[in-house]
Amino acid sequence: MQRRPFLLGCGCLAFAAAAGVRADEYDYQAPPRFARPDLGTDEGGLWAFMDREEQRLKRSSFLLRDPALHGYVNGIACRLAGDHCPEMRVYLVRTPYFNASMAPNGMMQVWSGLLVRMQNEAQLAAVLGHEIGHYLQRHSVERLRDAKSRSSFGLIVGMALGVAGGGSLGTLAQMGILASSLAYGRDQEREADRIGIALMARNGYAPAEAGRVWGQLLEEYEGAKAAGEEVSSTNILFASHPPAEERREVLAAAAKRDWPGAARMGADEYRAALAPHRMGFLYDEVRRRRFGESLVLFDRLLKSSPRDGQVQYFKGEVYRLRGSEGDAKLALEAYRASLAMDNTPPEAHRALGTVLRHAGDNDGATRAFQRYLELKPDAEDAELIRSYLTGSAS
Amino acid sequence: MRLTPWLAAAALAALAGCAQIVKVEPGQVTVKEALRLSTTSAWNRFELQFPLSVAPGASEVWTQDGVTLDALAFFVGIAQGETLGRAIGGKKLPQFRSTLTPGEIVELYEQMVTQDGSAFALKRIAPGRFGGQPGFRFEYTITRKSDSVLLKGVAQGAVVKDKLYLAAFTAPSIYYYDRHLPQVEPLLATAEIIAR
Repeated sequence: MQRRPFLLGCGCLAFAAAAGVRADEYDYQAPPRFARPDLGTDEGGLWAFMDREEQRLKRSSFLLRDPALHGYVNGIACRLAGDHCPEMRVYLVRTPYFNASMAPNGMMQVWSGLLVRMQNEAQLAAVLGHEIGHYLQRHSVERLRDAKSRSSFGLIVGMALGVAGGGSLGTLAQMGILASSLAYGRDQEREADRIGIALMARNGYAPAEAGRVWGQLLEEYEGAKAAGEEVSSTNILFASHPPAEERREVLAAAAKRDWPGAARMGADEYRAALAPHRMGFLYDEVRRRRFGESLVLFDRLLKSSPRDGQVQYFKGEVYRLRGSEGDAKLALEAYRASLAMDNTPPEAHRALGTVLRHAGDNDGATRAFQRYLELKPDAEDAELIRSYLTGSAS
Repeated sequence: MRLTPWLAAAALAALAGCAQIVKVEPGQVTVKEALRLSTTSAWNRFELQFPLSVAPGASEVWTQDGVTLDALAFFVGIAQGETLGRAIGGKKLPQFRSTLTPGEIVELYEQMVTQDGSAFALKRIAPGRFGGQPGFRFEYTITRKSDSVLLKGVAQGAVVKDKLYLAAFTAPSIYYYDRHLPQVEPLLATAEIIAR
């Protein structure tokens, strides 16, 4: 811990220490603490709206209510936010898409689809730092005023309120729509990127990971395109102005500056913190049926952790669920490979049995199902699997 | 007491502005000329004209108190290459194949009901009978995306002559599931697959 003094306390020292060392666009000074705006002002109205959304989010069954993981992510966000930490409340949400957002009232959401995609703590810090940058510069208030001056305010508020009125979409979807109707401008994104990388580096994180986040998203996008999958217009890559390629390059260049002591990756800590939830996150990921994207993601995770039987099993699941020509063989290979790795879930045996059964290898299927039942005798489908073994069901 | 559910259903129909409720009288009923049931109580058949997250594209949906409170969905005669239910919002659904295992058929069901972002969890699956044929039965929960309500469900299905027949009852775990299950179970026990 001695070699990472920035991580002690709440980062306020970090700001003071960095001030005066370099005077340029990356030498960011956070504004003083924010007070709650008067309800009569436009900003107060925006806060009140977000407060109501936050109340709904707090009740949502999709919130991950694990104190350990929450404490871990909250701790990172808090150090990045420095003095502003007490203004912030972090919510982890089970939604399998890449997203993090921070509302002007201090409500930060981090989705599980983002958590499963980050390789290490530094990458997560890069994304959180970027969102905190928007917050510290009060970009959403700027955006609101800009929209008002262009007389589209009524439309935006109407949309936001209409959606919040309890349409068929849930709170999180509403937040997405609200966020896009108040989408940040090009210059705001650039500023948040600069602040984000400065905050992460001052807290000791390797700044090169910021550009890699965008690089990874671009690879997944290429994977989806190659697989002939439509890329939704809500995809973060399309919503991003400036484009993802530019952000990747600018961030990579910024990382090459002199950032004293900024080398921390935190890959092991990150993996350990996510471990209790990773099965669920990966399960949700494959059920998006974005097979091209998932395969790129899984190959990347396997590259950094080649004996990860969990990821290898889900790679098999991608092939099995996709079910295209030749996929049965690929699934079979993936399941077999996973069973020679570490931390492989018992479900890999069941999946192997299912694929072998379809291939007509009844002996192989029987052995796999038996192994599954040995490992998970109280499985929710134990009765069904037993019936396969006794031949009492088709 | 019959008034309340009718009011609720009518209000829902009025709100939706595009659905029609038809009364299912006690007696013998046939769904899509392929699944015959005998009901001792009256039901409301919901004529779907808009996507309904618990059963988009079902052959028929019956309800007592309104489809958001209890829904008994029938999927009748799903053939090779067809999807279980209908895709909504540009999503893609996997196709039914007659060689699928019951576990894989549950996956079809899961993919259908989670298209709106709802979360599905399988609680139990076991061999069973449906429509007078060997089949399977599964129990599940769905956390509904739109309002975070926890739903409980039970489904019975069978694959007969390469076609899938499935009935799934879903209702909020608080009150409604237990209230209607005693009617649903005996009703499904009368099911008979009469497809040619």
